[in-house]
Amino acid sequence: MSREDYEVVIGLEVHCELSTKTKIFCSCSTEFGGEPNSHCCPVCMAMPGTLPVLNEKVVEYAVKAGLATNCSIEKNSKNDRKNYFYPDNPKSYQISQFDKPLCYEGYVTIEDEEGNEKKIRIERIHIEEDAGKLNHDDYGRGSFVDLNRAGVPLIEVVSKPDLRSSYEVEAYMKKLKSIFEYIEVSDCKMQEGSLRADVNVSIRKKGAEKLGTRTEMKNMNSFKSIVRAIEYEIDRQIEVVEDGGEVIQETLRWDDISGRTFSMRDKEDAQDYRYFPEPDLVAIKLSEEYIENIRKSLPELPESRKKRYIDDIGLSLKAANFVTSSKYYSLMFDKSSEISGNPKAVSNWLMSDIARILNEKELEPDKIPFTAENLAELVVLIDKGTISNSIGKKVLEELFENPKEPSKIIEEKGWVQISDEGAIKEVVLKVLENNSQSVADYKAGKDKALGFLVGQAMKETKGKANPQLLNKLFIEELKK
Amino acid sequence: MLNLIAGHDKKDSTSIDIEKKDYTKSLVNDVKGMKIGLPKEFIGEGINEEVKNAILDAAEKYRSLGAEVEQCSLDIGKEALATYYIIACAEASSNLGRFDGIRYGYRSENYDNLKDIYKNSRSEGFGAEVKRRIILGTYVLSSGYYDAYYKKAQKVRTVIINEYNKLFEKYDLILTPTSPTVAFKIGEKSSNPLEMYLADICTVPVNIAGLPGMSIPYSVDKNGMPIGIQLVAKHFEEEKIFRAAYTMEQNIKFREKYKPEFKK
Repeated sequence: MSREDYEVVIGLEVHCELSTKTKIFCSCSTEFGGEPNSHCCPVCMAMPGTLPVLNEKVVEYAVKAGLATNCSIEKNSKNDRKNYFYPDNPKSYQISQFDKPLCYEGYVTIEDEEGNEKKIRIERIHIEEDAGKLNHDDYGRGSFVDLNRAGVPLIEVVSKPDLRSSYEVEAYMKKLKSIFEYIEVSDCKMQEGSLRADVNVSIRKKGAEKLGTRTEMKNMNSFKSIVRAIEYEIDRQIEVVEDGGEVIQETLRWDDISGRTFSMRDKEDAQDYRYFPEPDLVAIKLSEEYIENIRKSLPELPESRKKRYIDDIGLSLKAANFVTSSKYYSLMFDKSSEISGNPKAVSNWLMSDIARILNEKELEPDKIPFTAENLAELVVLIDKGTISNSIGKKVLEELFENPKEPSKIIEEKGWVQISDEGAIKEVVLKVLENNSQSVADYKAGKDKALGFLVGQAMKETKGKANPQLLNKLFIEELKK
Repeated sequence: MLNLIAGHDKKDSTSIDIEKKDYTKSLVNDVKGMKIGLPKEFIGEGINEEVKNAILDAAEKYRSLGAEVEQCSLDIGKEALATYYIIACAEASSNLGRFDGIRYGYRSENYDNLKDIYKNSRSEGFGAEVKRRIILGTYVLSSGYYDAYYKKAQKVRTVIINEYNKLFEKYDLILTPTSPTVAFKIGEKSSNPLEMYLADICTVPVNIAGLPGMSIPYSVDKNGMPIGIQLVAKHFEEEKIFRAAYTMEQNIKFREKYKPEFKK
């Protein structure tokens, strides 16, 4: 038997830090970083006698997230205590939500590997507080507790086991990230830990109805490591089953360096969290009006933008998917298209060179250093023939290094396209004179020789010659 | 003091935002027209004879001062006690988890590693009753037992509140003993936690229902031990308690009559 004989079933618990200014139960700053224990107060340090007060923005953001992912909103919600003892959890319980999450039964749409639309159902979204962080000393002197993150608001998005591959998991997470960025409830920075996922993986023989025993994986902090961890775990489970064994229910920790998982705890030492309603807080009651007001305040979501790009602007599905994959791409696309009047060129730049450079530099789309106006100007300069496409690429590289108006860049670098027929003709004649062999080849019917000659001329002009003009003049001269 | 602590505290979400009152205005020596309920269950089985007589005497006193006192029924004592010890222990088991000997409170001097700091600080720092409550509370919240204990206790709590509210449709105040017996000696019953818990049977239902109540020293028993009466009012009707308690205080002059004697 091989991998093709098995179906993979994956469910995700995605934790996403909300971008409220203050923590969920006190008025401390949620800012990332800072000296250890500089963003905390008696409440988030769990001093005896302190009481939590729920930050209303957290409820608002969570409801936004729920509405944007097609969830129903619980009008009579509450907070519960999840009791567990760990040094980064100062109260010895985490205030979370148990049986009445704020949002339930939603879905997002992704595209599977064949490009078909697929709904991934969301079971629930609840609010909770983040724990602190343990800094382990490199010299073995101990571990230090930093409570800056303790009490930072989180939403946990629990999916149904609808995902069937690591590809779908990545698509699903990227979709959530993009939605949360659009509605501005989270900055979703994986490297800062503001977007994290616990992945539940199981396998079953194709056609089987009963779900296999699942394992839960933690500690993946990039899309790449999530995909690697899932692939590793699928192979591991299949191997166990193929060898006649049984997958045991356990929690695994992914180690990115060794590229494998380690068991953290099995079912026997599963924790009993002893959930019970948080007696220090009151029920969260939401009115229909409150929910509707939030619904009305939502910006245009990626699904609707995608439809608009395809139907009204005529982008391909691929381009529309790409542009809407990030709020930052989409906003830049909208603005640059409007200014330049050439949306297709804008989407091409985003999809090809801009995405490539971001990838090379390992940057997220929000780190694009230049403005939509800059990109629009670049498109216009090419459309007007002021610069060639290949110079355009050089201008883009320069925009990443040293962002300023493209017209200034080409002026300073002397990259303006040569469209003067006289000047180009001079170059053409020179190239023809120096490459008599190619001229002979061309005349003997080898059309490829023309490409070589044009290339030589481009080299001569450092890429600044207008390519159409160059072609035209070569053909004219060669016909003589 | 109540005037100061009353009202909404924005740092305590469980406090209610209602208009503040001046409770000193309720210190009036007059109970004419007030209706007081006297639940028969609180002067029946398990209540010391002298305590019972003191309550009946107090009821008579209120009648003579112009209040209407009527016997009624409030059969929730045992349920309230059970409910209280489930809910209070559950919360305590969770609340006390933060006392790990690291940031504050007692820290054992006897440890070699982190786990021992936790273990020994708690073993040495918490008393027997606290440990008992942590264990009880952890048990009632455990998966598989939650529904049978904690959840049920919360439901019973609602029933208790409803029972009280039914009485408050008829009465301004409810009169009961503060304690089923007079005070016992320190340590006399500590070895029997159940008996200790039973001593709270008159006050615990009031706490469970979240009602305002007040204990008023009324008389003393044959050994000179004080006996208290308890007045309970509906939510946010503390004024009625102040009025009835003040009236009683003015009329029995407890402080002048029963000077404390300290036995050697």
